Amino acid sequence: MSLRLVRIDDRLIHGQVVAGWLRALGAQRIVIVDDAAARDEFLREVLSLAAPSGVPVEVLDVAGGAARCIDLATSQEPVIVLARSPRTVLALRQAGVPIEVVDLGGLGAGPGRRRLHRTISVSSDELAELRELEQLGTRVEIRIVADDRPIALRSVDPAR
Amino acid sequence: MFRKSAGLGVGLVLVFTLAALIPGPVLGAGSGAPADTGKIAVSAWQAGLIALGYYLANSPWLFGLAFFTLYRPLVAGFFVGLILGDPAQGTLIGAAINVPYLGFISAGGTLPADASFAGWVGTTVALAGHLDPTKAIPIAFGLGLLGTIIFYARMSLDSIFAHWADARAEKADIGGVALMNWLPGQAFLFVASVVPVFLFALNGPSYVQDALDRLPLWTVNGLIIAGGILPALGIALNMRFIFRGSAIPYFFIGFIVWTATRGSLSLVVIAALGLALAYLHLTFVRPVVTATSEPDRELQSASAATSTAGSTAGSGAGSPAGSGAGSGVRVTRGDLLRSWALWTFFAHANYNYERLQGTGFAHAMTPIIKRLYTTPDEIRAALKRHLVFFNTEPNFGNIVHGTVIAMEEQRANGAPIDDDAINSVKSGLMGPLAGIGDTLSQSTITPILLALGIGIAGGTASGSAVPTLAGATGNPLGAIIYMILVSVVIVAIGYTAWMQGYARGRTFVTDILRSGTIDRVLVGAGVLGNMVLGALAAKFVVVNLAPTITISGAQLNIQAAVLDPLFPGALALGLVVLTWWLLRRVNPLVLLAIFLVGSILAAYPFFGPGQSNASDYSYQACTSSLLHPYSPCGAPPAPSAQP
Repeated sequence: MSLRLVRIDDRLIHGQVVAGWLRALGAQRIVIVDDAAARDEFLREVLSLAAPSGVPVEVLDVAGGAARCIDLATSQEPVIVLARSPRTVLALRQAGVPIEVVDLGGLGAGPGRRRLHRTISVSSDELAELRELEQLGTRVEIRIVADDRPIALRSVDPAR
Repeated sequence: MFRKSAGLGVGLVLVFTLAALIPGPVLGAGSGAPADTGKIAVSAWQAGLIALGYYLANSPWLFGLAFFTLYRPLVAGFFVGLILGDPAQGTLIGAAINVPYLGFISAGGTLPADASFAGWVGTTVALAGHLDPTKAIPIAFGLGLLGTIIFYARMSLDSIFAHWADARAEKADIGGVALMNWLPGQAFLFVASVVPVFLFALNGPSYVQDALDRLPLWTVNGLIIAGGILPALGIALNMRFIFRGSAIPYFFIGFIVWTATRGSLSLVVIAALGLALAYLHLTFVRPVVTATSEPDRELQSASAATSTAGSTAGSGAGSPAGSGAGSGVRVTRGDLLRSWALWTFFAHANYNYERLQGTGFAHAMTPIIKRLYTTPDEIRAALKRHLVFFNTEPNFGNIVHGTVIAMEEQRANGAPIDDDAINSVKSGLMGPLAGIGDTLSQSTITPILLALGIGIAGGTASGSAVPTLAGATGNPLGAIIYMILVSVVIVAIGYTAWMQGYARGRTFVTDILRSGTIDRVLVGAGVLGNMVLGALAAKFVVVNLAPTITISGAQLNIQAAVLDPLFPGALALGLVVLTWWLLRRVNPLVLLAIFLVGSILAAYPFFGPGQSNASDYSYQACTSSLLHPYSPCGAPPAPSAQP
């Protein structure tokens, strides 16, 4: 099981990921699962060049990403998986990707979104999707950078 | 993280406060008071200036450069020294305090510790209290954790002001949005900064001095030991970024050069050597391959090239005056410069959890909106469009702003560019460019220049194989050189990214990423950084074993008689590498706690009556504690002061 980190972050790759998580986990590969990014060649190239050299970045749609993640989960290579929304991770989970923990790393605020913790806000749909993930046996944790102590979704979920 | 770190900070400060309140004899403090007692005098105006300095370090008023200059303990130490009348010693203390923060990075609204609080207040406490820099290191570190409270209060409160900006946008009030980005946030920050720092600066030195006088001497020794060990944490945190692959040997070269020359080479010389080696490394060891030569990237590049001409492209179609779109409105060079300046100043003026740099982005766009749009509806829409969540690295990431300005210009002239197109450029690019930008500015350029500045500031030619800060003389040039270098580099990156982003948009992004320039800079900087960091480890990390062994009747210190002759500084080097290794498995804050507690326990005279004593520099009678302050016990004492 080498999906070291499955992270939900609406900015996908950025400083916290590249300078923080990547180093902290010693990950060798980043897999981005995002339908929109997978369709956009320009974005795909930017994302693939945004990681330090020697760390390949794969940008895949949900279907391709699920197959790839199932494959990678059995390999020894330490991998970071990034998705823009809870929906994507739920789709991965439902497609059979073994995800023990999903990390809420960044979900920006906006109209109709409720703040859970610092830079983490969710819409009611996203919250429902996260709860569904928990029902499927995936722990949902807020952990913005690797040095943070994880906060369980349960402890900030407004419904409980 | 926040609760934990602030809690640790509060705890440390509480311990000191309690110790200051308890009458001396209770804790059995020695009559042989520590050597470094002296007159403590911070006048009200001095405390006021220091408080102002701390505010400026967190404010936008220095062309956005405060985070790279006044925020750093090295620079803070220099200015506190100026204010208190001893810039050389202030710089030395600031340099020492800065070492544990070499791996400091703040990304996306996270802050591991407030390095500026540690720098401004820590230097004040140490300088006014005549503490030696080693003792100042752990005290300042505790203060740095405490300082995060101000940051997190501001990050929470400033979210409210973002809504005030929303209300102004609704009225199409351009100036109002700009005002809301800086006035309320900065007013709060000014009060939240100046009041606590003023009180700390005024009273802190005597509190800490009283506490140190009342603590049992072995705990004070423990503090000094911690001051020798904490730099290993900062260096190891930074090593997470650059101690990799073929650059690793240069760290050891740097370390050995420093110990072999007994610190008589200036860090400038070691850095020059590092630059030469970086050139050789890039030429012979690791020639940078440009991205296009890798097969899977080649594929993507080819398809990207075709899409550059697509409808949502942000390329600004050459020079602003060119491309004859008839009588359309154009962004002038003055608008571009004004917009860039506003961003550079105010990107983080109202930094908050809800939008991060969102209001800063809108503020920066005000000259552009004024130029391009005339009707209230257009203005309102444009302001709201740019008030949303946004965050990138505010220098390299300026490519986004340049690109967006070009898109706004095309839109104002009738091009079919909708909100979605602009939003997708912002949200698509801000992350990846922040990743590259943070790697460049925060985890490469700043720490390497800081390491250089700290090395210069720490003075040269201590003359002793045993590193000690107790008698060293600081060099303010270290702080000044650092400030100039970092400012020039950061402004150059920000300006280029902004202007090229406007002129060439997405083409510039792919060009610069494919060219391998950034990779070349990072690899070269990695070599130089490892050299300087290695030298710095040799200079600041101090481990002195106390135990002795008896060989043919003579009682010999294990470290001084056995280890150091074989490999000078082997223990310090081992500690740094061990810390780096541990950081992959242990949270830095846990490691910090272990180091602090371990240092103090290691100073306790477990096995005998021997008094490990801060004022006892003679080392004739070795104590049976595990670690010793200042130098290995039994070794010749370090020069305690220079005439």
